[in-house]
Amino acid sequence: MNSIDVSLFDSDIVYVSKANSRREVFKEVSDDLFKRGYVKESFLDNLNTREDAYPTGVDMTPVSTDYPNVAIPHTEANFVYKRKIVPVKLENPIQFHNMIDPSQKIEVEFLFMILNNDPEGQANVLAEIMDFLTQTPKEKLLEFFGSDSKTDIFNFLENNFTKVSN
Amino acid sequence: MIKMLTACGAGVNSSHQIKDAVEAEMKNRGYDVSVDAEMIKDVTPEMMKGVQVFLPINKPDLGFDIDIPEIDAGAILYRMPAMAQPVYDKIETEIKKIQA
Repeated sequence: MNSIDVSLFDSDIVYVSKANSRREVFKEVSDDLFKRGYVKESFLDNLNTREDAYPTGVDMTPVSTDYPNVAIPHTEANFVYKRKIVPVKLENPIQFHNMIDPSQKIEVEFLFMILNNDPEGQANVLAEIMDFLTQTPKEKLLEFFGSDSKTDIFNFLENNFTKVSN
Repeated sequence: MIKMLTACGAGVNSSHQIKDAVEAEMKNRGYDVSVDAEMIKDVTPEMMKGVQVFLPINKPDLGFDIDIPEIDAGAILYRMPAMAQPVYDKIETEIKKIQA
């Protein structure tokens, strides 16, 4: 059993974005992450290039048709300095392509941007996100998806990720 | 030891999750399986030598043809038994063919 690092989240890198496009939200978040020293300047380019070639939209209908879709944008390991999950609530749904079937387009309302500089690390970050999305009680998760408060989003993730079994 | 390979865009998240999940599940089912997790752009015909099953995640275009069984493994990423089970069953079927 791996212990889960609560520091997968930082309260200063939680975002609520009014962006209207994928490129716009990627730039908004990447610029801030760079300024705060979490990623290299080239992060944004790699993020866009990768998303074009290998999309990261997660169709949530297999989990529940009541949930909004999410995406897990990320880059190769050498563009980031830390191992973090960056939550981004999208006030305007943005189109992504489905990770496991790139021919499908889906409307996404929440991003779990993954900064991973250590693919061999103790716990798989993506697995942690999927466990959170599939095992959190439905009413609580719907409330979380409905929140526009950075503080509430951060607190909910901190509390609920630590309760998910690995 | 059965050798498999999976690949994703960044080689950091999805492929490693598939690797961990398939190795663990096949161990539970009594098979000795090793899965390499790679970046799609790094996968070459040479790298495929000795690989017995390919586990693509996102219907990738490798840029070359392969002549080993391919099993779509993306559904495993959800970590929901109902979605993962059929993929594991297909993998087990291929292992049995290889061992036959």
